[in-house]
Amino acid sequence: MPDKSRGLKRAKEIYQNRSQKAKELKAAGKKIIGYPCVYVPLEMLTALDLVPYRTCGDIKEPVTEADRALPTSFCPIMRTCLDCALKGWNDFLDGMVTVHSSDPQEKTARVWESYVNHPYFHFIDMPGTVRPEALEYFKNQLNDFRKTLESFTGKKLSPGKLKAAIESHNKQRALVKELYQLTKPAPPLISGTEIVQVIKALMSLPVTEGNELLSQVISEVKSRTDGPKKKPARLLIWSSTVDDSDIMAIFESEANVVMDESCGGIRPYRGRVKLTADPLDGLTDYYLNEITCARTFRQAVIGETKKDYKKDLQSRFGYLRDIIKKWNINGAILLLVRYCDPFAFEMPSLKDYLDNLGLPSTYIEYDYTVGALAPLRTRVEAFLETIS
Amino acid sequence: MVTEEKKKVISRLKSMYPLRAKVNETYLKSAEAIKAGKPAVWAMLNFYYGDPILKAMDVEVVYPENYGAVLAATGVAQRYLDQSDADGFPTHLCGYSRASLGYTSRMMKDLKGKIPPEAPFGGMPKPIFLMASAAICDARYKWFQALGRYMDVPVWSLEAPSPGNKEFFIEGNYQRMVELGMKHLRDFVAFVERMLGKKMDWDKLDETVNLMIEINRVWFEANELRKAKPCPVHSRDFWSAMPAALFLAGDLKDSLQLYQNAYQEVKDRVNSHAGAILEEKYRLVFAELPPWHSLGLFDRLAERGWNFVVESFGYRPPIPLDLSKVSDPLEKITKFSLQFFAGYYNDAKKQNVLGGAFAYPYLKYAREWKCDGALLHPLISCRSASTHLPYVSNMLMEQLKVPSLNVEGDIVDLRLFDPEDVVAKAEPFEETMEHYRKVRRQEGFGW
Repeated sequence: MPDKSRGLKRAKEIYQNRSQKAKELKAAGKKIIGYPCVYVPLEMLTALDLVPYRTCGDIKEPVTEADRALPTSFCPIMRTCLDCALKGWNDFLDGMVTVHSSDPQEKTARVWESYVNHPYFHFIDMPGTVRPEALEYFKNQLNDFRKTLESFTGKKLSPGKLKAAIESHNKQRALVKELYQLTKPAPPLISGTEIVQVIKALMSLPVTEGNELLSQVISEVKSRTDGPKKKPARLLIWSSTVDDSDIMAIFESEANVVMDESCGGIRPYRGRVKLTADPLDGLTDYYLNEITCARTFRQAVIGETKKDYKKDLQSRFGYLRDIIKKWNINGAILLLVRYCDPFAFEMPSLKDYLDNLGLPSTYIEYDYTVGALAPLRTRVEAFLETIS
Repeated sequence: MVTEEKKKVISRLKSMYPLRAKVNETYLKSAEAIKAGKPAVWAMLNFYYGDPILKAMDVEVVYPENYGAVLAATGVAQRYLDQSDADGFPTHLCGYSRASLGYTSRMMKDLKGKIPPEAPFGGMPKPIFLMASAAICDARYKWFQALGRYMDVPVWSLEAPSPGNKEFFIEGNYQRMVELGMKHLRDFVAFVERMLGKKMDWDKLDETVNLMIEINRVWFEANELRKAKPCPVHSRDFWSAMPAALFLAGDLKDSLQLYQNAYQEVKDRVNSHAGAILEEKYRLVFAELPPWHSLGLFDRLAERGWNFVVESFGYRPPIPLDLSKVSDPLEKITKFSLQFFAGYYNDAKKQNVLGGAFAYPYLKYAREWKCDGALLHPLISCRSASTHLPYVSNMLMEQLKVPSLNVEGDIVDLRLFDPEDVVAKAEPFEETMEHYRKVRRQEGFGW
């Protein structure tokens, strides 16, 4: 029997009561900083002994308060995120860092700052391309972020501390990748539902504690005998975010989810921040260039004067080819959160790419509420019938 | 007869017609020029970052967003929206983008590159490249990227910084935004040169930029005159006249003359106390993009005495900025483009309105144009033109005691907008405006 306070059990406990640990840390004198998106460079918070805490919404909580601040035809994730904030769920936060990773993030940031009173609030502007001047601008944005953090904490962010924080977060990335290695066998040693809980737990903990939890989970999963059952399909989920285990459980009713390409899955952990002479260079490159979110404008050749659709698809989705092969994936679900425009524009092209690889896929839209789960289940079941 | 009488409810500016015609002519002239072998470029609204460069390089530019409005206004949009849906694009995407995706799908897949015969104003021919922009709505560059499904045409995505409310004031930030713009535009010029196989004429670019700035200054001043009571220009004239400035349509010297004519006509109306509608009972601000397919609604509201005196932050000329001492045209372009939102930040900060560039302008408009109410039009398919509207509504009430009427709709898809619903709500909203007029007077507001 696994120890209740360790590994998967511990991850589930944290997942179910995310703010508890943050509140304990705050009571112990730590400052807790919220962030709504994985594009916020957490290394800079960690280096200043601040605890990053991802502010999420809740599919089970009806949006009521956010209606006075955001329109209904708007990113449901940001709506529920703000709704929870307006209901006081995050009142323990000492500050909030937002980032221009997409229009809804940017526009919600302005509203958030106006309606929720945090002692510290910072917005990081983020270019859309990965051109050299865009990287330079983004680095300057991170430098401004450093200045406001220093002013808030009264501490200097030294390159040495930042490098140490980068190493800790890189370790976390490596551990998450190791965790995903455990989904390669058939059946996988860990389910997609469990991974959602682990990742969300990581986003509620200081990085060192998160790494400790990951090590426990990996060790436990490697030796477990009660892992997931083998199911007819091995799925890739591609989405902006899947951060609720009830959603993931729907896919896993008749399939094994072996790869969750979303920011509640492997997306923020796939790469690693390079240790550069000026640590901000490594962070700039990682956060603007390396994270494979649909929000970034990518091309086969930067500034290209000729375009080839196949090469274009390769530059945008090429990272999936290896994953599909190595994880022996036989179906993909392209899960769109309604009103998420960057991902919505991407859907037909991604389907073209997967068709070219011969991988069956389906595009399903939902609105990130409990009410959307039943129709989601019906559509998933229909897809699984076609591929099994 | 009935139709004629309805048209007279709003007294349209005579000087507006040639400005509106200019945009239509631009489509026709572009189609002819392209038939004669000139290259075409598709561009999106970019707040002038790229337009003057294309203009100076003598490229025929068509704007799918503006064309989306044309398709909606001429009733042709629906088949393209349906085609976009059939190709797998979600129905809640931007109406302009859906119209152009469907149009391009039809042109390239069904008609093998030929312009669809039903396309108004000669249609949009296949471009040699696409100029996307991140300004205000950054999902748009994904739209142009998505057009790659139908045509192998390179895309340039223009960068446009979008600073936070307080972060705008961090020391050196403005200059860094200018540097980003200048470096980026320098590369863009090189890209355009490669695509066209010719060099930029920098003197011509400078002249183009200066004309662009002057056109917008005159257009800005004309709109300032609308603060007069009664307001001499209705929003319908603003929307008809603004594309020539916003999209740098046709010959710019000619445009400047037309805007100067408009300014003079507005000034004459102010001097003679001539209003845009027969009896101005209520002065309203409109946000953001209008229902292009149902503009007749405004005539019906004008019959009730509703005069729309100020509108559409995203389409308005920037607050004038003296750039006469700037010699580099790319620096001028960048500073002018940044001014679209940067022009409001200082005032917003003073008033402690964190909504910054998107929400604050409406407070300024309501205060300075002395509005009784706001008609807010959140769009089901446009986050960028809608997200700030609940905040705008709250701030108008909290700070100025100006009530808002919210009506959901869409810019292109007429199935998502119900003009009858607005008319049904008009009478109770008039009572609300009357009530808050009294409240404002009691609380010492100036109107």
